[in-house]
Amino acid sequence: MKQPGSEAAAAARRLRAWWLSGPSRRRILLAGGLVLAAAGVILFIVLGRGGTLKEIQARGTWRVGMDPSFPPFENFDVVTGGPVGLDVELAHAISEQWGIKTEIVTLGFDELLDAVASHQVDAAISAIPIQPERTEDVRFSDPYVQAGVVLAVRKGSELAGTAGLSGRRVAVEWGSQGEAAARALREDGALAFELLPHETVTLALDALAAGEADAAIVDAISLATYAHAAELAAIGEPLVSDPYVVIVPADAPDLLKAVNDALRTLESDGTLDEIRARWLRPAQS
Amino acid sequence: MTSGIRWRNIAPAVAVALLILLLVGRAGRPWVEFGPQQRVISTNPKMGVHTRLTDEVEPWKIQRTFEMVREMGATWVVEYFLWAAHEPQRGVYDWSHADLVVDHAVNQGLTVIARLGYVPEWARPKDATHLYLDEEGYAAFARFAAAFARHFEGRVHYIIVWNEPNLSQEWGYREPDPAEYTQLLKAAYAAIKAEAPQMQVLGGALAPTLAPAGSEWAMDDLIYLQGMYDAGAKDAFDILAAHAYGWTFSADAEPGRDSVNWRRVELLREIMVQNGDVDKHVMITEGGWNDHPRWTKAVRPSQRVANSVRAYDMALREWPWVDAVCLWAFRYPRPARTYQDYYSFVDGDFRPKPIYEALQRYAAGLDWRGEQ
Repeated sequence: MKQPGSEAAAAARRLRAWWLSGPSRRRILLAGGLVLAAAGVILFIVLGRGGTLKEIQARGTWRVGMDPSFPPFENFDVVTGGPVGLDVELAHAISEQWGIKTEIVTLGFDELLDAVASHQVDAAISAIPIQPERTEDVRFSDPYVQAGVVLAVRKGSELAGTAGLSGRRVAVEWGSQGEAAARALREDGALAFELLPHETVTLALDALAAGEADAAIVDAISLATYAHAAELAAIGEPLVSDPYVVIVPADAPDLLKAVNDALRTLESDGTLDEIRARWLRPAQS
Repeated sequence: MTSGIRWRNIAPAVAVALLILLLVGRAGRPWVEFGPQQRVISTNPKMGVHTRLTDEVEPWKIQRTFEMVREMGATWVVEYFLWAAHEPQRGVYDWSHADLVVDHAVNQGLTVIARLGYVPEWARPKDATHLYLDEEGYAAFARFAAAFARHFEGRVHYIIVWNEPNLSQEWGYREPDPAEYTQLLKAAYAAIKAEAPQMQVLGGALAPTLAPAGSEWAMDDLIYLQGMYDAGAKDAFDILAAHAYGWTFSADAEPGRDSVNWRRVELLREIMVQNGDVDKHVMITEGGWNDHPRWTKAVRPSQRVANSVRAYDMALREWPWVDAVCLWAFRYPRPARTYQDYYSFVDGDFRPKPIYEALQRYAAGLDWRGEQ
């Protein structure tokens, strides 16, 4: 009865004999072919279409597009000149889950989705909301921040929602989405409240904090970063929902799953809360 | 016999009704009441806006958009017409949506500047982006531009060839190359003029940018324009299309090669003059200010209003070489939920923003601040 090991050893001996007995040209050609094949694999990984998790991990770098002009999510640090913000930290936190590095690629906001769809970058994290009309090109992760328009009141206010606004004074920023939402409430919701437009969102919130208005309709991020945010609270459901998400290519379902898994981990271990608390905090007055 | 007489009496009316139904059915597009021909009343005939009707499918919204543009006092509109949508197969044209847009604009007394681009799948390599068009496709684009000019002759008088080719994204993620764009411009210009000699061809539409030399993403617009002239673009456009964004600067901020602001268009004009194009005019086909609360490139809403009024007025009184100023963007079909929403003049439900009302007062010759 033949032993499997001895059969393998015999095959190896035959291969060695063929290799040594052949002309040197054969050996050169075979070695050259192997080198070319290896180079091809490396080139495919380095230069080929990115986007799937395996390719990203093989590269060791996750290329994330963002437009650093949108604090506190991303902007250039005045000291270091590098991009900083909630989205920058989130990108790094996600790639740390995978044991690789993040490379931030700065792009114009309008370019981000196309850059992802065409695999110029692996993902985009840039305070981007879900855009249902682009689902053919890109996929949207689970939300990591709820932005949007909210109804803000002073803590302890008896107001519990928009239903009680009739007869009240509502501060808004002139020309803002908050003002549009307030107008819609008056026109479509048949609420009769006084609209108090202010030149900036800060002035609108100042008016609320000072008791010159009973409520303010503003975006949630401006409320969170308002200097006296501790005195105010958002009540009820957002008047305009606006979740920010990570964008990945449509043909990278493994990457989408990995991003969502990472977001869940970061949510459950408190990392995401820490990042949000660090960047969505009241500005120093 | 009595019923026969009645039938003979109503037969012509029935025939006319059937004919109308047949014609409406053959039109292949939803029927809307156009109403009487309108005209714009404005103290500033250079006022315009860039509309966003590419993916607006409801005819009443298209009509309402142009009504509100007219009521604001703007005469000019830039609208994007997608090559991919209007020539879905090589040589097969579908002008139904474009007809709807153009006819409503004209009915409101507006002058349309048609921006052409967006490559159909059949004209680009597989997996290339919709803005990728290599040299082999220039002739196909030129044929489309000529077909557009032929179809809309008498209704559209201005065509922009491509958009922001100095950005890699807008050039199919290839390195921006003014010589290549010039080849495309030359091909389109010749084809358009052969079909419609009176059609005015706009070239350029460059994105204002300070991209450093060798950037993979963009080329400085001033360098790019000179590159176009060096490649022989002078005889391939009748008017320069320019984009003029003010960012955080006032409309009066001094232009400079190292800054992007409203008056950077004056530097484009200098390059035109230096290249012997002193008589050629400019149309600002995108531009303006944004008033998002947190975006670093935005201004306050009141500043946006003041800058926009000043920008329109500057073109009217101080820039005789500018024919039209079309600010971005009148209305989005749906909210973007980003800073982009703060470029618009009316919201998705056609509610006018304060800037709309201020510009309406300006165009009517009233105090735009609304204090009187």
